[in-house]
Amino acid sequence: MEENIITINNIGKEYPGVQALKDVSFDIKRNTVHCIVGENGAGKSTLIKILAGAQQRSRGEIELNGIPYNPKNTRHAMNSGMSVLFQELNVIDQLTVEENLTLGMEKLRFGFIRKTEHQDRLQEILFSMDKTIKLNHKVSDLSVAQKQVIEITKAIATDSKVIIMDEPTAAITEGEIAKLFAVIKDLRKQDVTVIYISHRLNEIFEIGDYVTVMRDGCMIETRAITEFDGCTEKIDTGTGVVERTVNEETACKALIRMMLGEVVVTRYTPKEIDKTKVALSLKNISNHKLKNISFDLYKGETLGFYGLVGSGKSEIARAIYGVDDISNGEIMLNGKPINLKSPDKAISESISMVPEERRTEGLCTMLNIRENITLMNMSSVSSRGVINKSKERELSTDYISKLQIACRDGNQKTALLSGGNQQKVVLAKCLNSNPSIFLLDEPSRGVDVGAKEEIHNIIRELAKKGVSSIVFSSELPEVMNLCDRIILLYEGEIREVLVNGQNHDFENILHIVTGGSV
Amino acid sequence: MNVKTVDACMQKITKKIPAQLLIITGILVLLLIIFSFFSSRFISSRNLLNILRQSSFIIMTGCAVTILMISGNIDLSVGSVAALSGVTMALLAQSGVPLPIAVMGAVGIGLLAGGLNALVVSIFEIPPFIGTLGTMFICRGIALILTDGFTVRDNLPSNYKLLGHGELFGIPFPIWIMLSIIIISVVLQKKSVIGKYSIAIGGNKLAAELSGINVKKMVSIFYLIIGGVVGLTGAVQSSILGVGEPNIGNGFEFDVIIAIILGGTTLDGGEGSVIGMVIGALIVMVIGNGLNLLGVLTFYQSILKGAILVAAVLLDQRMRKQ
Amino acid sequence: MMNLSKMSFKLNIQKYLMLCVLLLVIIAFSLLTPKFFTYVNLRNVMLQVSLIVITGSAVTLLMISGHFDLSVGSVIAFAGIMHAYISKHIAPTTVSIIIAICLGGLIGFLNGLMVTKLKITPIIATLGTMYAARGLAFIVARADGGANITSGLPLNFENFGRKMIGPVPFPIILMIVVVIIFYYIQTKTNLGRYAYSIGANENTSYLSGVKVERWIILLYLLVGLFAAFCGTILVSRLGSGVPTIGVGFEFDVIIAVVLGGTLISGGEGSVLGMVIGALIVGFVANGLNLLDVQSFYQTVIKGCILLGSIILERGLKKKLV
Repeated sequence: MEENIITINNIGKEYPGVQALKDVSFDIKRNTVHCIVGENGAGKSTLIKILAGAQQRSRGEIELNGIPYNPKNTRHAMNSGMSVLFQELNVIDQLTVEENLTLGMEKLRFGFIRKTEHQDRLQEILFSMDKTIKLNHKVSDLSVAQKQVIEITKAIATDSKVIIMDEPTAAITEGEIAKLFAVIKDLRKQDVTVIYISHRLNEIFEIGDYVTVMRDGCMIETRAITEFDGCTEKIDTGTGVVERTVNEETACKALIRMMLGEVVVTRYTPKEIDKTKVALSLKNISNHKLKNISFDLYKGETLGFYGLVGSGKSEIARAIYGVDDISNGEIMLNGKPINLKSPDKAISESISMVPEERRTEGLCTMLNIRENITLMNMSSVSSRGVINKSKERELSTDYISKLQIACRDGNQKTALLSGGNQQKVVLAKCLNSNPSIFLLDEPSRGVDVGAKEEIHNIIRELAKKGVSSIVFSSELPEVMNLCDRIILLYEGEIREVLVNGQNHDFENILHIVTGGSV
Repeated sequence: MNVKTVDACMQKITKKIPAQLLIITGILVLLLIIFSFFSSRFISSRNLLNILRQSSFIIMTGCAVTILMISGNIDLSVGSVAALSGVTMALLAQSGVPLPIAVMGAVGIGLLAGGLNALVVSIFEIPPFIGTLGTMFICRGIALILTDGFTVRDNLPSNYKLLGHGELFGIPFPIWIMLSIIIISVVLQKKSVIGKYSIAIGGNKLAAELSGINVKKMVSIFYLIIGGVVGLTGAVQSSILGVGEPNIGNGFEFDVIIAIILGGTTLDGGEGSVIGMVIGALIVMVIGNGLNLLGVLTFYQSILKGAILVAAVLLDQRMRKQ
Repeated sequence: MMNLSKMSFKLNIQKYLMLCVLLLVIIAFSLLTPKFFTYVNLRNVMLQVSLIVITGSAVTLLMISGHFDLSVGSVIAFAGIMHAYISKHIAPTTVSIIIAICLGGLIGFLNGLMVTKLKITPIIATLGTMYAARGLAFIVARADGGANITSGLPLNFENFGRKMIGPVPFPIILMIVVVIIFYYIQTKTNLGRYAYSIGANENTSYLSGVKVERWIILLYLLVGLFAAFCGTILVSRLGSGVPTIGVGFEFDVIIAVVLGGTLISGGEGSVLGMVIGALIVGFVANGLNLLDVQSFYQTVIKGCILLGSIILERGLKKKLV
């Protein structure tokens, strides 16, 4: 029974300038829940995209059920028996549950939809998972978890043998998670293999059978959950029920060790921070995502926020920058309360933000480098609304050489640049607005190692000039190498404030940001 | 039955009918009451039938366009296509072709125009707004070329006006045709893949594609349906007028869009209903007719039309927020 | 690097494609009929094109920002009739022109407010003002006592539209000035830059501190002002205020803009491209006229040029990628 359903053999994937996957090989056994874990940028999402047919691998082989598997697109992958539960759910809100389930598989009589036994089967599958969902409910009235159940039902009904779940618990409540897990455990009986991706390590030990750890595009290890210390299983010989007991503390720490590897903190040099000069201060900031966020940012300090995806990092940056509303609390700038309603107000208070999503928030990719760099502060190259072209050219050439942006010249469209160079253009744009407070949301995501180091050096240089920066990152080495203090976030709450430069237990840090107790 | 079950029943009913539909129906009823209060002629069966007949063009075409707009696309060519179809029918009839075949000719021309729209929008992937704008010019031009720019009125058979003016059980043919198209559309929308897929495509195009729906093919079908229905509309219109008029139907596309938007269909797609469009069209026509009877100049109606459109969209936004 | 330079070369080809088409059209018609390349004929074409170009200049900028205006035809009629009414009853011609233009600007401002503050889709909002402005135009004509305002207009009413500067009609001069102004705005000013950035990515622009709503309102305002400006020129040329002018004008403008390479989704486009687009349509219509092709064919050809050019452009782009 323990045969392989998927065999992954030496697959690799390159993006321009970045190697996302390096010779990854492992097997996935039939009718198991196979978890894949790793930090951001470890290559998980690339791997999923390749399995789902959304992207093509650069090399290597994959076998599904012993047959070579080369999906051209997502639809093709589904037809081969591989379904994906994406984070952006592919259900149609405006249709009912029943209509969604049968979508694309309607049985017709003279063009009209007729009921079939097929529908009874769908209903049966659906009810076996969630009895509260009625077939005539509109999907828009359902919760995220219920929508997931609908997608799972659809996957089973189309005879999917593998269902990939990408962070399925990211947007659902505790109670719903329990329900979803019951569904996942049940899937084994339906002859379905689950590939499960999550940042929450305790979940892995609750439902996983195997776990593959990834780091820097490599497969580090694939191990059965029961092989972890503190994880034991007892089979009740009478009923055949498997009882699993997990000592989360020890098991999670072991997993974290595999995920992190060596954290190299060589680039951080402690510096004196004048604690009398508070540049920015947040007092009990709350909104839809944040709970009582309070902290001070000192002049010239580099502060780090470390937490998982969805921990509220971006929301803090957006709240300070005037993008998101604040329901409660106060923001003080240089000791004076401020109430910023939009980014342009923030910029005029010399606050600047490098947004999380480079292509959709940071750049106008249809415009060229020069036009992007000056966008945030047109008055630096124009007077009375008229642009001084030679001044603009000079300024952009200046930034291009200062930040070593690899390009032909300033007239090159930013769409054609590599990720690292795009990010440098965003940095140049923000620097040109002369910020005294610089918010950087995932400043080096999807950027190659060289460019990452260069971006970090820019931030260090700024600190020397007295600019206060906040780095929001889901990569621990990044904050450890850059920041004077590090604030750990979990579910929109500050869990711990650490001063850098002392010896820290990285496993403990990861333990905290994955929801463990302080 | 005690109060509670009645209450529950009412809740069920109101839940089934979208609030927007309730509100516009209320507005329509209110308008009918107000106008019949001010003008005794308004509520006469003759006038009401007249309103219905005038609305029939917008409603017939609107039925097909609603389904297209639910899928998130748009068609600007309907006015020109209707004119071209009407002209085609008149010319065919003039040259001695039997009337039923002339009507079929009109529908055929409509289908051709729909095919052109399908070609440019689905195959060449031109944005619908621009693609159907091109068709709009092409069809209008052909209508003018075919007739040399003149109205076709000579040598038409005596039964030419039958389709537009004939009656069955005291109700004019156009109203019968309109009713059957409404019924067919409602059934198509509720019971067939056409209605379901249009919602799916407009609601979440990617999910629709992943579910195996051939989006291009479906959108092409929507345009073809519109073409056929608009062809018939043109034929009916031409028969009511008793002539083939190449310049008719300027701005007709906007009248149709207004009725559809009033009926709760959004430009983004995913939502909307044929019945809503019918009520929307009736509201516009009732206001026009009522104000006419009250002696208000048509010019004010133009302003009112603009105001109604904007108000309807605002109302729709409000409802969605709640 | 080799690849990149090849790419930019191809981009340039696309950019000059329309110019080549225009030259071809001119050469072809010059060879086909001696009446084409004459002073009188060229003057007539330019006169016809001038209104589309003047409104189109402002509309190009608006469409670069990813927005849209269907009301320009009605605004022309409304401003025109207002100009006729005011100059007949209230104020001298010059003052009347200014008031009429401002009223057009008001409608544009209203469009901007509806789109930004009330979040109504541009098509719907401007469709609303399209009907409203047309209705108002009829009402004003009616207030004067008839369908059109023809009699009792001041003597200098026709000067504005019919004046000649040397051998060149005044509206053509105005057109050239407007094109230069908008070319300047497009290439040299913050407004032009913001139009591109908003059209390319509204979210990025907002996060970069661009006051998106304010600039969009300003763009709609400009469209209103220049459409109204066209209205005053047109009634002056006609010598009477007619409320039915400009029906379908919005589409003529959009065709010129789209032919000029402006994307309907925004972020790309140019005023000079629009001028070329307008000239292509204008010359083709005129040339066919001279060749005694019925004017009705022009409508068909307009549609074909629109579809054909976009299909061609898309084909080129696909090859490029």
